[in-house]
Amino acid sequence: MVDIMDLTTAEKPQWCPGCGNYGILIAVKNALANLGRESHNVAVVSGIGCSGKDSHYIRTYGFEGLHGRVLPVATGIKLANRKLTVIGMGGDGDGYGIGLNHLIHSCRRNLDITYIVHNNEIYGLTTGQVSPTSMKGMKTKSTPHGVIEMPIHPLALAISSDATFVARGYTGNIQHLTKLVEEAISHKGFALVDVLQVCPSWNKVNTPQWFKERIYDMNQAGHDPSDKLRAYEKALEDVMTGYEKVPIGVFYRTERSTYGDELPQIKDAELIEHDIMNVDMSKTLAEHI
Amino acid sequence: MEFIWKIGGEAGFGIMGSGILFGKVFTRTGYHAHVYSEYPSLIRGGHNTTQVRISDAPVHNPKKTCNLLVALNKFAVEAHMNEITERGGILYDGDEIDLSDLSLPQNVVLYKVPLLSIAKQAGGEVIMRNTVAMGATLALLDYPFSHLEELIKEVFARKGEHVIDVNIRAAKGGYDYIIDNYNASEYPFSFEPKPQVKRCLMTGNEAIGAGAIQAGLKMYCAYPMTPASSILHYVAKHEYDHNIVVKHTEDEIAAVNMAIGGAYAGVRTMTATSGGGFALMTEAIGLAALSETPLVMAIAQRVGPSTGMPTWTEQADLKFVLNASQGDFLRVVLAPGDIQEAYELTQHAFNLAEKYQIPVMILSDKFLSESTTSADIDQLNKIPIQRGKLIVKDMEPLAQKEKFKRYEYTDDGVSPRPIPGIIGGEHVATSYEHWENSFSTEHFETRVKMVQKRAKKIDELVKDLKPPALHGPEDADLTLVCWGSHKPIVFEAVDLLNDAGVKVNALHFSYIHPIPPKAIEMLKSAKRLVIVENNSTAQFGGYLKEHAGVEFAGSILRFDGRPLFAEEVFEHAKLILDGKEKDVAVYDKERVEYYSAKLVGE
Ligand SMILES: Cc1ncc(C[n+]2csc(CCOP(=O)(O)OP(=O)(O)O)c2C)c(N)n1
Repeated sequence: MVDIMDLTTAEKPQWCPGCGNYGILIAVKNALANLGRESHNVAVVSGIGCSGKDSHYIRTYGFEGLHGRVLPVATGIKLANRKLTVIGMGGDGDGYGIGLNHLIHSCRRNLDITYIVHNNEIYGLTTGQVSPTSMKGMKTKSTPHGVIEMPIHPLALAISSDATFVARGYTGNIQHLTKLVEEAISHKGFALVDVLQVCPSWNKVNTPQWFKERIYDMNQAGHDPSDKLRAYEKALEDVMTGYEKVPIGVFYRTERSTYGDELPQIKDAELIEHDIMNVDMSKTLAEHI
Repeated sequence: MEFIWKIGGEAGFGIMGSGILFGKVFTRTGYHAHVYSEYPSLIRGGHNTTQVRISDAPVHNPKKTCNLLVALNKFAVEAHMNEITERGGILYDGDEIDLSDLSLPQNVVLYKVPLLSIAKQAGGEVIMRNTVAMGATLALLDYPFSHLEELIKEVFARKGEHVIDVNIRAAKGGYDYIIDNYNASEYPFSFEPKPQVKRCLMTGNEAIGAGAIQAGLKMYCAYPMTPASSILHYVAKHEYDHNIVVKHTEDEIAAVNMAIGGAYAGVRTMTATSGGGFALMTEAIGLAALSETPLVMAIAQRVGPSTGMPTWTEQADLKFVLNASQGDFLRVVLAPGDIQEAYELTQHAFNLAEKYQIPVMILSDKFLSESTTSADIDQLNKIPIQRGKLIVKDMEPLAQKEKFKRYEYTDDGVSPRPIPGIIGGEHVATSYEHWENSFSTEHFETRVKMVQKRAKKIDELVKDLKPPALHGPEDADLTLVCWGSHKPIVFEAVDLLNDAGVKVNALHFSYIHPIPPKAIEMLKSAKRLVIVENNSTAQFGGYLKEHAGVEFAGSILRFDGRPLFAEEVFEHAKLILDGKEKDVAVYDKERVEYYSAKLVGE
């Protein structure tokens, strides 16, 4: 059993009052404690954005990298040592905008990493510009006359990219979110958890009230996460219903060997456990004779 | 004793492979070899050449001339006939090519060998003409056939008996044709096999890859880009032999960030690319610097800017590499001058990156990366591994809410670095400025102290840097300054100059940045300095002017896609010394167009 205080830092989070990030932080810490993941065996990788601070507020190992590059760093860490619990934390701009390429390939790759996207449908840290998940027509600082493009459908994208665990949570329901994060961490393979959250400072469209009227627990409503096509449909339900209904829960879950499982190089020992002091090059160099 | 064999023809006919095979015949029998290829950025069509320089002494660079030109098409003769030395020869298929309308240089001997029909008689195809030519060449050199035969058996072992037989018959057909139709003893070159030594033949990129493996490389992340791709291929080929995880990533940004992630987790990782890919990696170099995560990257330069001329060589990314990424920070730039240096400096790069927790860049170019050179295995040294202040054993657990002082101020500026999984080491490696305990900050005093802490590493670091190599007499009238791949070229020019009674020496830098302290002294003690570089703006010269306060009396530059040749450096150094020239841009005026449109269209 891990005490939640063992995962807590001296620094107090510095987000705006009412920010959804507080809820995500609590959910992740709770999930880690509930699963008994000890602080030294966890690596939290964050990007740049308001959520980038996450790695500082969870007392584990952490890596706060570049804007959009959460997943490559997390991939490097996991490949080096699969005994670590590796959790990626990023924003919607970070993960679905500048870093989108890495998401698609991480889904295909299926390393055992949990990726939690703080989806507030806006760029928070840079004071309110449009995000790839902003709804069409939304007025932001960089789109004062309204967004022209359609928003990205991250869950549909992940499902079609062969992700093995695809879920969506909401910061207004911490208990449900904690459970989702636990499932995602326990899942063997790449797990995407898209977390809908409010941004009280910059997003005046997707308010707590807006979410309250639309969000429902799809699993309670009978969705079977093993049905890929149905999961895909569900992932588009928000747009298809003109945002009348926004489902949360586990959309899709399946088992597939992870990228690491298919590497004989690390079958017997993690890369960090290999002896590098005595590499014998005689055979390799002899190939050049 | 030296012999230069050049084979030229259309791309896609195994020209480059035959250079290696031909070289191996000799490196296996006691000689040294250097194999240099030129080719356009195409898979088919276009003009390819490979030049093999065989010598008693170690050779690391091509020459402008050749002693035997094997021409697989007429264009190869038109393009290269003026490179053939006196009494040298052209070996070509007289049934296929008519040279009567060309005004060939005098004293060139023509060897008409029916390459195609011999290949066909052997049961082979047009692709085997080079094998026939190899056999024919060996006969001209009075060399026993058996060594080539052995090699063919080895190289084609996996393709089965039939392929081996056909190739041997083709080579022997060429060999016998010369014996039967020409008097080989009239050909001025002749070699005898010598006792075998353990001598390998490898490219600069293979040496970088092998050096990295020797250094304990565990994770290699890269995105293909000529001329760096063959490092990726080499490490991937050996991924099971040495248990290395090799990842061809979605892009260069992923490659470098993955390498940083792996290094943070405690393994030796590396990435490599060329200029364009390096541009995409630049942001992450600063990430490695600020988070103090070791980063080893190799950059194989090609002709820029932008896509430039992808398969040609240049040294024009130096200033980019020296300055890439925002902010002030310490980095190391190494530029090996030959394959031994590539093998050793790559290992050294890993030590420096881990000891000082900084980015280290190995700067090569197409010329070094893709040229093949012989080296004795016992000259490829292992460098003892140094991992600096890495903590891989559990410590006392931290008190609640406490973080490990990952960025502790220390005397040498280097702080202890526990890896994830270690009890008591919890901290954040961060791209933001931070306190000693790794939490981010904008506190002014801490900012200043952290900048100074990171900069302080240089005091110890410079002790690990080697001064430039001096070649030639100490009291020379002129000192040629060069760096990286141009070492053997400039050193050979110095030998030619001194043989001609001109007192010139050379300084070669493989430790580029920071400048080794002794280098400044060496530069300042020279009478007159001339910079020799493979770019148009003398980037290294400018760098030395700025940081070592030296002036150059002249420059010998080349930026047409080829390396300089020793003969050119020889010629222009003399002219500069005589005051007849100052700043020279070298290129071939009758330039051969290697691109297919010209070849096929006209
Ligand atoms: C390469 C790069 N481009 C731009 C930025 C500036 N930047 C920092 S955070 C951010 C977007 C933040 O939005 P999001 O990822 O949605 O996170 P949020 O702040 O909303 O949590 C941007 C554009 C940067 N740090 N790096």
